[in-house]
Amino acid sequence: MNKTLQRTQQHIVILEASKIISEGLYDILYRSEINCKIDHCDTLDELFELLETKTPHILITNSMQFLNREKEIKKTRKTHPNIHIVGMDCMHMPKMNSLFDASFSLYDSEEQIIQTISKLFEKLSFAHQTKTDDDSLSDREIEVLTGIVNGHSNKEIAESLNISVHTVVTHRKNIAAKTGIRSQSGLTIYAISKEIISIDDFS
Amino acid sequence: MNMHYHSKYRINPEMKMIHLLEENHLLLLMLQHFEIDFRVGDSTIAQLCKEYDISENLFIRIANLYSGVRVANNTSFSKKDVLRVINFLKNSHTYYRSDKYPQIRNFIFQLKQNHPDKELKLLEQFFDEYFAEVLEHLNYEDTIAFPYFIALLENKENTAASTNYSSDEYSEHHTDIELKLKDLKSLLLKHLKINDDWMLRRQLLFALYELEYDLYIHSLIEETILIPAGIGIENE
Repeated sequence: MNKTLQRTQQHIVILEASKIISEGLYDILYRSEINCKIDHCDTLDELFELLETKTPHILITNSMQFLNREKEIKKTRKTHPNIHIVGMDCMHMPKMNSLFDASFSLYDSEEQIIQTISKLFEKLSFAHQTKTDDDSLSDREIEVLTGIVNGHSNKEIAESLNISVHTVVTHRKNIAAKTGIRSQSGLTIYAISKEIISIDDFS
Repeated sequence: MNMHYHSKYRINPEMKMIHLLEENHLLLLMLQHFEIDFRVGDSTIAQLCKEYDISENLFIRIANLYSGVRVANNTSFSKKDVLRVINFLKNSHTYYRSDKYPQIRNFIFQLKQNHPDKELKLLEQFFDEYFAEVLEHLNYEDTIAFPYFIALLENKENTAASTNYSSDEYSEHHTDIELKLKDLKSLLLKHLKINDDWMLRRQLLFALYELEYDLYIHSLIEETILIPAGIGIENE
């Protein structure tokens, strides 16, 4: 199995009202080599609520759940373009292929189910290949950070580095995402602890 | 604990409080904010609600929030309920102001004493500035926002019309005091190098998580119960 599947944790949501089916699926996933965190919803409305705060990588759903609600699903697809949807076919359901990125049947073997989901993850990790787990700042980000810590505005930083304000904002977002720190005073402590600036520069 | 954990069951009035506490001990915070004694004995939720004059509807909604369940926002609350909520929020302010923040402050102070690095001095400074901001926010809610809601609920004529204040303004002023708390956690968990001192650092982190958890529920209560109720009355 692809190593990245084991290293980066995937967030899966199961949308299935049947306890027997959802618990069975939990079991299969946890037994597999896929490194995942699983949430569960009984109804589509519960799912929509969950999507307000979280963006899972994969949604595994009973295809019945989407019956007569295609419009809402299509809308959700637009607002959450990064979620991949796997349909579970229970019986002779009319296929709604356009709504799913992959599907399996309830009567597929454990291996087949895992293979279907793994394939999707491979596609996912390919799409995000440029993203690394490395949280260290780039040279440019360090320059922007130094500006922030010295109390310069976005505009001042942009001018001194000869880049657009928009680019400064993007750098700031990346710095916040990498360090987990948003406030200026918090970033100052970060910069000192990483010896990006010395405490004497900062009074 | 995962704050957004989807609970396996819905809380119902016949459940015993002591069993809920076994599942989620952080409900103790809820009991304290409701001024319900921790010695809950074998009381069911229904019995506790009766004893302390709290509606089951309100109690269960808040207990669900503490257990990570966000039930669809379709029940409305009585004026008495909303007054109860304000009292609950005030009590949680007391917990922040005189209990949790001072405790965290004390841990950071001790840490600074043990490690004379410059970083920890800055961390203490960071915390003190943050604490001052929090106090300002809490005072604002206690002296301006809550009295406004109470007047609105007690049906004082034209409260909404005669003051310049409104629920809308409240939700705007409603700043994100959780943000710097996250910064503090990131600094401790990702960046600052502090050797040993396991016990103190763990105590500090536990306190930060506990505070973060309660602040999160606190803002959910304000956003999903208090503000909608205020807007409802203003529109009457």
